[in-house]
Amino acid sequence: MAVFQKISSLFGKSSPTAILLGAPLSGRLVSLSEVPDEVFSAKTLGDGFAIDVSDGVVVAPFDCEVSQVFRTGHALGLMGPGGLELLIHVGIDTVKMKGEGFFPKVKVGQKLRAGDLLLEFDLERVRSQAKSCVTPIVVTNMDLVEAMEIVASGSVSRGTPVLSVRKKSQS
Amino acid sequence: MEKTVRILNEEGLHARPAGIFVKKASEFSSVIEVRSGGVSKNGKSIMALMGLSLEKNAEITLVANGPDAEAALKALSELVEKKFQV
Repeated sequence: MAVFQKISSLFGKSSPTAILLGAPLSGRLVSLSEVPDEVFSAKTLGDGFAIDVSDGVVVAPFDCEVSQVFRTGHALGLMGPGGLELLIHVGIDTVKMKGEGFFPKVKVGQKLRAGDLLLEFDLERVRSQAKSCVTPIVVTNMDLVEAMEIVASGSVSRGTPVLSVRKKSQS
Repeated sequence: MEKTVRILNEEGLHARPAGIFVKKASEFSSVIEVRSGGVSKNGKSIMALMGLSLEKNAEITLVANGPDAEAALKALSELVEKKFQV
């Protein structure tokens, strides 16, 4: 019985499984602490990673539902496996661009597979008008997260596995 | 307890103010809700707050229930009135 319990706790539905996120954009992986905005670097909005982007295409990092598209198009909220909420915020201070140069390709409620197109943006415009092109990608409901680990470094392409998230087991 | 305030910052309640609001709300044990246009959202959830898409001049009602409700309402309404500057 003890053995069975051990096995079921390893493989049972209650066991915490890792959720793997692919890079939603291509570019250079940077630590959140390097993001030039305190609300991200201090992890006030959540924990995750950032990408100094090299092109203007954003794809879904995991199978998800679109929970929010900012009216200015510069940020997206996604609901991933097990209720994990992810914020992708293209550039820093991009809210001031008032949507110019951002072309969201999805609507709230839309269900997506990892790799599906979310958003295109004019990288040159962001480069010249925003404070930074560094794009933070953070889990906003960290209360669900047991642990997370960055599993890549340096340059990444869209879809490259970047972050492994282990959820708290549900009691 | 509840208190109605107005969003004053230029870009409305986008990512940064939502994060600052939730951080402050989470310092209190009371249940915090933000109501706007007949919708009520969890004041301790960043994604829920951003989902309200509140623009400048939007009126919101902060609702707090719990042992520190009064202090929570005071702190949060001040934060909104100060345009989320901390």
